[in-house]
This record gives sequence, C-alpha cells and structure tokens, in this order.
Amino acid sequence: MSAGLTPSLQSGHGCCLLQGLWFSRLLSLFGDKEARILVLGLDNAGKTTILYRLHVGEVVQTIPTIGFNVETVTYKNIKFQVWDLGGQTSIRPYWRCYYPNTQAIIYVVDSCDVDRLPTSREEFAAILEEEELRDAAILVYANKQDLPGALSDAQVAEGLGLTSIKSRDWSIFKTSGTWLKKETRGMGEGLFEGLDWLSNTLKTKRR
Amino acid sequence: MADGKYFSTTKKGEIHELKTELNAVDKSKKKDAVKKVIAAMTVGKDVSPLFPDVINQMQTDDMELKKLVYLYLINYAKTQPDLAIMAVNTFVKDSQDPNPLIRALAVRTMGCIRVDKITEYLCDPLHRCLKDEDPYVRKTAAVCVAKLYDINAELVEDRGFLDMLKAGWGTAAGWGLLLDLIGDANPMVVANAVAALSEIQELGGKPVLELTLGTVSKLLRALNECTEWGQVFILDSVVNYLPADGKDAEAVVERVLPRLQHANSAVVLSAIKVILKNLQYINDETVRAALSRKLAPPLVTLLGAEPELQYVALRNIGLIIQGQPSVLANDVKVFFCKYNDPSYVKMEKLDIMMKLINEQNIDQVLLEFKEYATEVDVDFVRKAVRAIGYCAISIQSAAERCINVLLELIGTKVNYVVQESIVVIKDIFRRYPNRYESIIGTLCDSLESLDEPEAKASMVWIIGEYAERIDNADELLEQFLESFPEETAAVQLALMTATVKLFLKKPVEKPQQLIQLVLTYATQETDNPDLRDRAYIYWRLLSTDPEAAKDVVLAEKPTISGAHDGTEPALLNELLGELGSLASVYHKPASSFVSKMRLAVHRADDLAAAAARGSHSGDSETLTSAVVAESPLAGLGASAALTPTPPVPDLLGDLLDLDVPAPAPAAAAAAAPPDAPNLPMVFGEDKGKGVVLCAALSQQAEGYVYQLSVSNVAVGAPLNGFMIQLNKNALGLAPASQHVALDAVPPGATATARVPMVHNPALAAPEQGQLLQVAIKCNPLGVLYFNDSIPAQLLAPPPPAAAQGAFFF
Repeated sequence: MSAGLTPSLQSGHGCCLLQGLWFSRLLSLFGDKEARILVLGLDNAGKTTILYRLHVGEVVQTIPTIGFNVETVTYKNIKFQVWDLGGQTSIRPYWRCYYPNTQAIIYVVDSCDVDRLPTSREEFAAILEEEELRDAAILVYANKQDLPGALSDAQVAEGLGLTSIKSRDWSIFKTSGTWLKKETRGMGEGLFEGLDWLSNTLKTKRR
Repeated sequence: MADGKYFSTTKKGEIHELKTELNAVDKSKKKDAVKKVIAAMTVGKDVSPLFPDVINQMQTDDMELKKLVYLYLINYAKTQPDLAIMAVNTFVKDSQDPNPLIRALAVRTMGCIRVDKITEYLCDPLHRCLKDEDPYVRKTAAVCVAKLYDINAELVEDRGFLDMLKAGWGTAAGWGLLLDLIGDANPMVVANAVAALSEIQELGGKPVLELTLGTVSKLLRALNECTEWGQVFILDSVVNYLPADGKDAEAVVERVLPRLQHANSAVVLSAIKVILKNLQYINDETVRAALSRKLAPPLVTLLGAEPELQYVALRNIGLIIQGQPSVLANDVKVFFCKYNDPSYVKMEKLDIMMKLINEQNIDQVLLEFKEYATEVDVDFVRKAVRAIGYCAISIQSAAERCINVLLELIGTKVNYVVQESIVVIKDIFRRYPNRYESIIGTLCDSLESLDEPEAKASMVWIIGEYAERIDNADELLEQFLESFPEETAAVQLALMTATVKLFLKKPVEKPQQLIQLVLTYATQETDNPDLRDRAYIYWRLLSTDPEAAKDVVLAEKPTISGAHDGTEPALLNELLGELGSLASVYHKPASSFVSKMRLAVHRADDLAAAAARGSHSGDSETLTSAVVAESPLAGLGASAALTPTPPVPDLLGDLLDLDVPAPAPAAAAAAAPPDAPNLPMVFGEDKGKGVVLCAALSQQAEGYVYQLSVSNVAVGAPLNGFMIQLNKNALGLAPASQHVALDAVPPGATATARVPMVHNPALAAPEQGQLLQVAIKCNPLGVLYFNDSIPAQLLAPPPPAAAQGAFFF
C-alpha cells in the first residue's frame, strides 16, 4: 500500500488496468457482495441526511437517529451496504459493535460546528486506532458547505488532523446533504465524487 | 504452570458459529441464523450475547425476519438495556411504515420492551400511532399506552397520553388522544381504549376516565359492534357511571338489555352488573320491577352450561339475589340439585335455595332438602340438614314441618345426620322457646351415638337448659362427665354450665356431687384458663349467693333471629360492582388477593392521608375519637371512666386548643410539664456514640406522645437534623412527622422533645407485643437504633363486647 497519498494522486489509480481483468476481478471479489460502509460522526453532522440523499436521491426530513439506519446504495452498479449510526454521546460507545468486516468509513463533519471540531477529532482519532478498522478506507465529508461560515475542506482536514495520516487511504470532500441542483450548483457533487473515490479505492484494495 | 489455560478455550461454540452466520452476506443464510437463534432462545439457551448482531437484522423488508427479530428483542432487551437503544430508530421508522401491519407490530413490540432507558424515545412514535389512520394501529397503540403506564407512569401522564385516551368531545384543547379514542368511529378502538384506561386506573389508583352521559353513550354506541371481550371491557367501565337521574339510568339499562341475550356468559354477567347498578337510580317502582324481571331468564340460562361455568354463575347469583332478592324469587326450582351435579355445584345451589325460601315455596324446598339429607355425600347431607334448620328458624309457619322432617331424619339413625340434626334443633329451641320441647325425649334416645364436639355440646346444652323436664337429667350428664377430661374445651364448658344449671334447678344430692366433681376438676386439673375462670366464677357465685347465681345462670335468654349471615352490605355493594370477576367468585374484594391492586390501594390511601393531613380532617377525626374512647383505659384514674365522654370534637385542633372541655384527668396530663423528668434511658453511653437517649411512650390528651430527651455527652459537634421512625408495633403507631422539633444540641447539653404519634392501622403488628423499635437519625451521627417497650397499661385491651350468640348462660 502506498503511503501518504493525496486525493489527487489517488483518483488517478487504476487507469492503466486492462478493462477485462478489471471487470473479472470486480465480479469475483465484489460479485453480488455489498461493500460494508459505516457512516460515523458527531450528532447533527448530517449523516442520516447524506444516507438518504445517496439512497433515494432526495432531501428527507430527519430526526436524531437513536440507533441506526441501514440502506443499500447502488452507485455505478456497485452496491454499498451503508450503516448510518447515531452520533449522540450515549450511542457512540456502540459504534464498535459495527466495526468487524467494515471496508470503509464515511466520517461526516459539520463544517459550521467549529466549537466541537476538537471533539470530532478525538472520536476520529479513536476510530483510526481501532484494530478492526485497520484496513478500512477513510472518506471524510466536510458537510454543510451550503451554510454561511462553513470551514473549507482544508480547514476541516487540518482540524481533524487528517494531514498527519501517512499509512492509509483517505480523502476529503466538500459536501452539502441538502444540496439541490438548481440553487447551490456544484456543492452536492462532493457526495458522489466521494463515492467515486471510494469505489475506486475499494477495487484497488481487492487486487 | 499457570492454570489459566483451563479458562481459555480454543472451542468457539454455538454462539460464535451463529454470530458468523448472522454476519454472513447471504440473506437467506442470515434469516436461517436468526431462526436458529430464536429456536435456541425458546428451549432456554442463553443467546443474549448475540444481541447486537440480531438487532442489526431489524431493518428489513422481510416481514417474517422482522417478526423474529422483534421476538428476540422482547425476550432479551431487559438483559441488554444499554444496547437496546440501538433498536429505537428502527421502531421509529417502522411506526411510519406504509404497511399498517408493520406499524402495529412496531407499536406492540415497543410496549413489550420494558426498558426504562428507551421508553422515553418511544413516546413520539406512540403519539403518532394513536392518531394513525388505520384502526388496527390505533387500537394497538391504545393498549401500548397502558403497558407504558406500567413501566413509567409519570412519563405517560406528562406526555398527555391519558388525555389522548379519553378526551375528544372538545372539552379542552390539549385533551388529546387516548380519551380521543373513546369517541373513535371504530368500535374495536373504543373497546381497547376503554380497556387501557381502566387498566391505568387500576394501576394508578386514581380516576382517569370521567364518565358523563356523553361518554357513556359513545361507549354504548360502540357496544353492539364490538367483539365479545370488547363488550365486557366497555360494560365493566360503564358500571362506574353515576346516572344523574332515573331517566339517564333507564336509558343506559335500555341500551344494555340486548346484551343479556349474548352467548358469552362474561358479557351477560357484565350486562347484569350494569343493569343492577342503574336500577338503583330508577325511581319508578313498576319500571324497576319490570326491568329486574328481565334479569331472571339470562341467569337461569347460565345454569345450562358446564359445571365449571355453573359454579361461577352460582357464585355470582348468590351475590345478585342478596342485592335484589326479587330477581329470582319465583325460580327456586331451577336451583334444585340434579343427582349428577358435582358436589361444589350442589353446595352452591343449596346456599342459593336457602336464600330464596319463602312462605310459598317452603313445602317444595323442604321436600327437596329432605331428599338431599338421605344422599351419600356426607358434607352435602350435613349442609342439607343445616338448611332445614335454617328454614325452621327463618319461616315461623314452617317450623313445625321442619321439626317433623328433622325427627324423621333422626329416626334413620344415620350417625352424622343425627348429630347435625341435634345441632340445628338446639338453634330451633332458642328461636322458639317453650314450644317444641316435647321432642327432647327422642333426642335423648340418640345420646350414645354422639361423638362430635359440636353435637355433644348442643345436646349437653339442651339437657342443662331443660333439666327440670328431663327426669334423668342427672344420669345423662353423669354419663357425659365420665369422659370430662378428654372432651374438647367447648364440650367441657357446656358440661360445666349444664351441671350448674342442673344443680340450680334440682339442688339435690346427685347434682351436688356432680358439681363438686366438675368444679374441682376445672379449677385444679385443667390447663384451660377459660374453663378455670368460669369454674371459679360459678364456684364463688354458688357459695356466696345461690339466688343471685340463679338470676345470672338461668336468666331469660334473648331469642335468636333467623337472619341469614350473608355478605356485609358494604362488601356486597363492592362485590356487586365486580360481578363476573374473580372477586365475585371468591366473594372477596379484589384488593385482598391481587397484589398490584393492593399496591394501588395503598397508594390511594397515602394520597388520601396526605390530603387529610393537609385539610386537617378525616384521619385526625378518627384519631380524636379513638383517643376519647381509649382514655379510660390509660390508667389515668377511676374518675376518667366516669367522666362523660365529651361530644365528639370535630377536629384534633379543637382538643389541642382545649376549647372543648376535655376529660379532667386528661387535661391534667396535658398540663404536665412537657419535659417529663424521669424518662428511662434507652440508648446509653455504652453504645459508644457519645450520646444518651432517654425516652418513653405515653398517652396524653392529644393522643400518644413519644417523649424523647437527647444528651450530647461526647460528640464534638452540635447534634441537629433530628428525625424519627418506628418499626411496626402492637399499637400501630407512627410519628405524625418524621422531623423531630429539636434545636441543635451543643456538646454537653440536653434537650427534650415530644413527638406526637398517630395511629395507622396498616402498621399494627400485634405479634410485636411490648417491643417498640425506634430509629433516630441526626447529624453527624447518622442513624441510631434502639429497642424501647410500650408500657403495659397502653396495651390493655378494650372492654370486651358482650359476646353474641354464646348460649352457655
């Protein structure tokens, strides 16, 4: 595994492969299997909204998730089994029940919640320490970019301490879970760019 | 080497295997795994470690899988209360599912998960489902409210669920949902809302459902379309309705009447209950008579069922005819026993026949009883004989016929029939003195066959009472006296009294010998204090003034009445309100055998007591009268007993103010200095706490007072914050307030306090005797326990009420 990848380098991976080989590997490793992905982050980060944005393509009204949501998201013919876990303090201890067999973590950060960025960083650091998640890819969404006062992706990456991660695959994208095409053009694409990155990364790992 | 290896095993076991399967990718494999888990659960294996893995299967479109996971959750949520929170979101989602079956399933399961931590999260979904468009979901939600109330009553009250169950006819805004459901268009929803509300009412011990004519007619409207058990719930609620006038009552009865034809006996009984209740409010005599006549046929129909149901029906009928004797007055025939009735049914039928006898049917019934007295079931025969005696006592015109039947029965020489007959004849003699004594001769013929104490005692009483008419009374008694030491106490007492009577009536040589014998034995040999005391009284009476003895022993006896000792009116009323329940079968109030209700009753009592304390009424009134009644016993001097009882003061406060002239000695006691000087020490320095407590319980004008003196001998700090509590005690006393009115006691000082006591029957524990266990709490010592004793004079019993029904004098 190459260390210290930057997002731009990462997105270039896999281009040189032969199409046929690529495809057969995809079938044998993924097949009808679904990649297990956890959506984590502090409460009110926007995890559930993102999940349903990806799942049904609409912005749904959510209430705090006491427990979990699980949906199968199909993106570009790849199935992701996405687990959205509640982010409240009382529920965070149970995140670990969901770690085994997880291929990727989507870590969602409320870019406007500057005060709690350190808390988010602590939780994030704990996740990185987990033995069971050693091989999981890390995708960070700097969410709520549509709101005024949102930190940039670089600032969020700095705040989480992302830049010091040398030994695993990670990437960060600017997102807005409530993005609607007409109004805030460009902001919601981060969600799908992130998924693009994720599918590529997972495919690469399987090799 | 270390033995730790024995604890670590390489075997993974079944749980691990299941865990792997649950996390498999293949859906059918997962489902199989969940089925295996449920199977293991049902045979009693502990599969709780799989909790998180099973919960993760909860969000699925597969109804079967969902049901299985819910089943697991109900069973194990309690063992994993923390993890159960992970299920909440799924409930929230499922309660909004487009499929009403899933919504209802979610709500029902939510109510079954008795985990306090998550109940709060379930309120919102429940709220929503109470207003669901689907009646099945609403009905399930209504029941869930009752379940939730059992887990967390406060929550339900705070969140306004009760109002949800009941409002809806636009009383006040916010009176939303459960009450709303009572006005629901769907009868099933109404029935379940009513059931939930009555359950909550029972649990909480306070009224939740206020019944007005409007509510009741809503309920009755739903009645006709409900299932049978829904009808029972509705009727059982309607019975609590108090009609404003006869018209309202009549309207209710009219609408309930058709239910009497229902095939389900529970519906019939509940309907009868409602009708009986409302009949009381109908003023028109003819209407009432007409309506109560309509109750008879359904009751008779109930007797056509299998014996078990018959028994239940009979127990209920027993109550109904005590409340409304006219209902079945003409139907005594249906209660005649069939030869193949089980004995428990026969016994009940006999009881009911006894309650239904009158001048018109006595001949018929008597013939029936006579028949029964010749059957083989001993208990039944005995009861039949008693019933004949009862007929004689209650219907004067039939007494002679009854006596003749009894004589015939004695003629059969069947031992237990004879003995039972003698017992009832004794009662007949007491009911109709100087009328049937001619049969004594016949009775004396069966003397030898008597071996039961009650029969013996009765016979001995007869001999003693009519000694002057029985020529050989002395010989007969002598026969009995031969075995005097071996007899039971009742027979011994009867024999002694009979001997005294004989002696007073025929003071000749033989009786004199007999009485010497009896009294000597009874005063010297016996261990029985009753026997000994009575013997001494007789002895002294006879030796001081034989004439006075005659006046006492041979005094005119009041004739006994024929009134059947039925259920007490208050209890009867309560039981009539519970017709068709276990209470009406036991003939006991439900609170005496249902533990949850007992709690609720206590809670209600506490509330009432608190209210009474606040308003200074109720409790204190009874307390005051109790004190007034008991004060002569307190050893305050003979004059106290002579002091006329003051008109019962309304309030304790009056007595304390001494506005009412209190009994003189009591006033003197009240005027005594509060710090009685010589209190006995109850908690000494030897206990090592550095404090000495002296205390005594006494009775004063204002009631029982616990006088307490506290000496701070060697505690380096002032003592303060005194509180007191008593364990259960013989007098049932408890401090009026736990806080003791004592200021801080600095080191070296002594302070005294008077702690007023109140009487609480619930705390009475006669078995404690004189023992009084006290706990005092104070800062900084904490709780100090000690044993004190209740002064003997406070424990003296009240003067015995003249024993009724004692026939030995």
